[in-house]
Amino acid sequence: MLKHRWFVRALRLCARPRAFALALLFALLPFSEAFAHCFVGPRFFPATLVIDDPCVADEMALPTIDWLKTGTTPPGSEWDISGEFDRRITEDLGFGISDLWSQIRTPGGRVVQGFGDLETTLQYQLLRDASHETAMLVGLIVDWGGTGNVNAGIGTAYSMLTPTYYFGQGLGGLPDDLEFARPLAITGQIGYQIPTTSYVASQGTYIPQVIVYGASLQYSMPYLKSEVKDLQLPDFFNHLIPIVETQFFTPVANNFGNPSITTGTINPGVIYVGSTYQIGLEAIIPVNGASGSGIGVLGQFHLYLDDMSPKTFGQPLISGASSPAKPPL
Amino acid sequence: MRILIILVSLLLMALGAGAACAHAFLDHANPAVGSTVQRAPRDVALSFTLNIDAASSNVQVTDSSGARVDEGKAQISGNTMRIGLKALKPGSYRVRWRVLSVDGHNAEGSFGFTVGGS
Repeated sequence: MLKHRWFVRALRLCARPRAFALALLFALLPFSEAFAHCFVGPRFFPATLVIDDPCVADEMALPTIDWLKTGTTPPGSEWDISGEFDRRITEDLGFGISDLWSQIRTPGGRVVQGFGDLETTLQYQLLRDASHETAMLVGLIVDWGGTGNVNAGIGTAYSMLTPTYYFGQGLGGLPDDLEFARPLAITGQIGYQIPTTSYVASQGTYIPQVIVYGASLQYSMPYLKSEVKDLQLPDFFNHLIPIVETQFFTPVANNFGNPSITTGTINPGVIYVGSTYQIGLEAIIPVNGASGSGIGVLGQFHLYLDDMSPKTFGQPLISGASSPAKPPL
Repeated sequence: MRILIILVSLLLMALGAGAACAHAFLDHANPAVGSTVQRAPRDVALSFTLNIDAASSNVQVTDSSGARVDEGKAQISGNTMRIGLKALKPGSYRVRWRVLSVDGHNAEGSFGFTVGGS
């Protein structure tokens, strides 16, 4: 999940005491069953940097950092530092909390900085179909108005609700003559962002409703090695997942007086998957002038909490019977 | 400074939560994943990145018609699982495995190998 303040779809973590206290509470509650981050059969969907992966999980992105030039004329320079903490409440129900801090330096040298709005996400796992490498998820993202720096224009005075559908599909079912395409996977999401206020009288501005959508195309070298063909590559390469992500924002309603233009970015990069963590690095390529200027950079350090501590973080907060062993093949 | 303190606190909380574990990935196999071997192997050996639970892990080998060609019980020791094979004819074979790693995480996968004609 990410990020860009102007899209108010940010990756946000416990950047304030109450969020931290909540995260701590979730971390210390008792647990029972163990399951995984986004494994669907033999397919592992990594935590993508710009959009969200299609699974509830116990994980933490800490931190995500990006630099870019804004879409203003002339462009300013923007740094964002953000984080996210996700915990499963039950095996299929998850909760996330995130926040970001932004600093924007305008061409005139003026600097505005502050926290964005606190963001929470409630997600439910609809499907994990191991045999077809398919995952589906629905969620509700809430950006809580008034929790960020409204005066700096980084937070908003109103909240935003974004019901969102997520999916992931591995291509491991392709026939043998396309075996080198089998490590490919596609993930995506589409949401409808609804502000709790349709008009800000003090600014004379209508707040549009926006479709938020994006996708990723990823090639899993771990999958290639373990499922298709072991090319005897140096171990480092067997941990890589080259990826291209995109995310777009299209205002579709209540957009009076605003430019009706789709904004977004294309983000090519690579994710290194370790045993308990992953490191992602992507370029930020704006799709038009309204989305930014030039190429930015995005990096993320991500922790698999369920692997780091399977007896504590790696368990849902509420669970029934302990995880059964899988039946014989 | 505030965000730095919070981020470091969370990182320490996560790192201090317990010993680091991970999912069991297939590290390597013999015959190798996707390989062609000239001589029919007498067994299939799988090595994982973690130790696996013997009671909850299993492996099967089938030929191109789906018929089982493994024989005997899988032998599991540490991070290695091995199963014997019947006399294989030239052709394509598929290995399907499922393991429970010692940290309680399930993992599964499959791969093919080919026995070439002499």
